[in-house]
Amino acid sequence: MSATRVPPPLSPRARWTVRSIGAAAAVGMALTVWLGLWVTPPDQVQGNLVRLVYIHPGVAWVALYLAFGLAAVASLLYLWPRTRSLFWDRLAAAAVEVGVVFNVCTLVSGSIWGRPTWGVYWAWDARLTLTAILLVLFLGYIALRRLPADPEKRAKRSAFVCLFAAVDIPIDHFSVLWWRTLHQGATVLNPDLSPTIHGSMAWTLLISFLSLTLVFVWMLLVRYRIGVLEDWLGSGELDVALRQRQAEGSSAGTADGATGTDALGTGPREPVPSLVPTPSSPDPAGVVAAGHPAVPERAR
Amino acid sequence: MNYVIAGYSIVLGILFLYAAQLVWRRRRLTRAVDRVVAFHEDGARRTDGG
Repeated sequence: MSATRVPPPLSPRARWTVRSIGAAAAVGMALTVWLGLWVTPPDQVQGNLVRLVYIHPGVAWVALYLAFGLAAVASLLYLWPRTRSLFWDRLAAAAVEVGVVFNVCTLVSGSIWGRPTWGVYWAWDARLTLTAILLVLFLGYIALRRLPADPEKRAKRSAFVCLFAAVDIPIDHFSVLWWRTLHQGATVLNPDLSPTIHGSMAWTLLISFLSLTLVFVWMLLVRYRIGVLEDWLGSGELDVALRQRQAEGSSAGTADGATGTDALGTGPREPVPSLVPTPSSPDPAGVVAAGHPAVPERAR
Repeated sequence: MNYVIAGYSIVLGILFLYAAQLVWRRRRLTRAVDRVVAFHEDGARRTDGG
C-alpha cells in the first residue's frame, strides 16, 4: 500500500475549523433555547406554544432545503460527466443521513405542536404527508447505498434515486399554497418574501435558523469524514492488511491470525486465506496473479 | 408549556445523540485506519529487516 492511498489526516487548520463550527453551533443552540424559552414573549393567540416556532421551522429548513437540497445538487453534479467525482457522492450521502435526522425532528416537533393546536398529533394533511413521504424516500436512499456494489455503480444509482426523491421537496414547499391544509403558510419563505413576524421573535427565529444551520454544517463535515474512512476501509485495504498479518503469523509459527481481534477491535478475527498460493488454494484472494496487493471489491 | 418542553427536549435530545454517535463513529474508524497503517508499516519493517 502506498502512503498516498491512506486517507490523509485532517490538517490542524481543518480540525480547528470543524471544532470552531461545532462550538459556535453549541453556543447558538444554547442561545436559541434561552431566548426561546425565557426571553421572547408569549403569543396573543397561541400563548406559550409559539415558542416551538424557534425549533420546528429551523429543523424543517435544514432537512428539506439545506440537507436534501444539497444532496440533490451533489447528485446532479455527480451525474454530470464533467464534474463526476466520488466527492459529490459522499457529500450527497452525508447530507441525506443528516437530513433524515432533521426530518425526524421536523415530524416529531410538528406532531407535538399539532396536538394542542389542532387536537391531534397527526393528520393526513398535504404538508405533513409529503414530509413523511420525503422521510421514507430518503430512508430508501440510505438502504440502497447499503446494497453491495462497486463504488461507481452505487454512486450512480444513488444519485438517480436522490434526484427522484428530491422532486418531493418543491411539492412539499408549495403544498400549503396549492391545497387547503391544516398547516399554516410560510412565515419567512412566503411568496412575497416578507416575514410576518417581528421584534424579539424575529431575531430569535433568525438565531435559531443560523444555529441549526451551523449544527448541520458541523454534522455534515463529520459525516463526510466518516464516509471517506469507511470507503477506504471498505476498499480492501483492511483485508490486505489482515491477510498480510496472518501470512506473517503463519510463517512465524504463531497463532496470531487465528486468535487475534480484527482491526476494528470489535471481536475475534475471522480466518483469512493466506496470500501465498498453495496447491490446495492457488492464489485464493486473486491478488498475486493481479500483481498488486489490491483485494477484489468487498461487499458492503 | 408541557408540549413546548417536550418539543425542545426531544429535538435537542435527538440532535445530541446523533452528534455523539457521529463523533464515536469517526473515532472508531480513525483508530481502525491507524491500525491498518500500523500493520503495513510493521510488515514493511519486518521485510526490510530480513
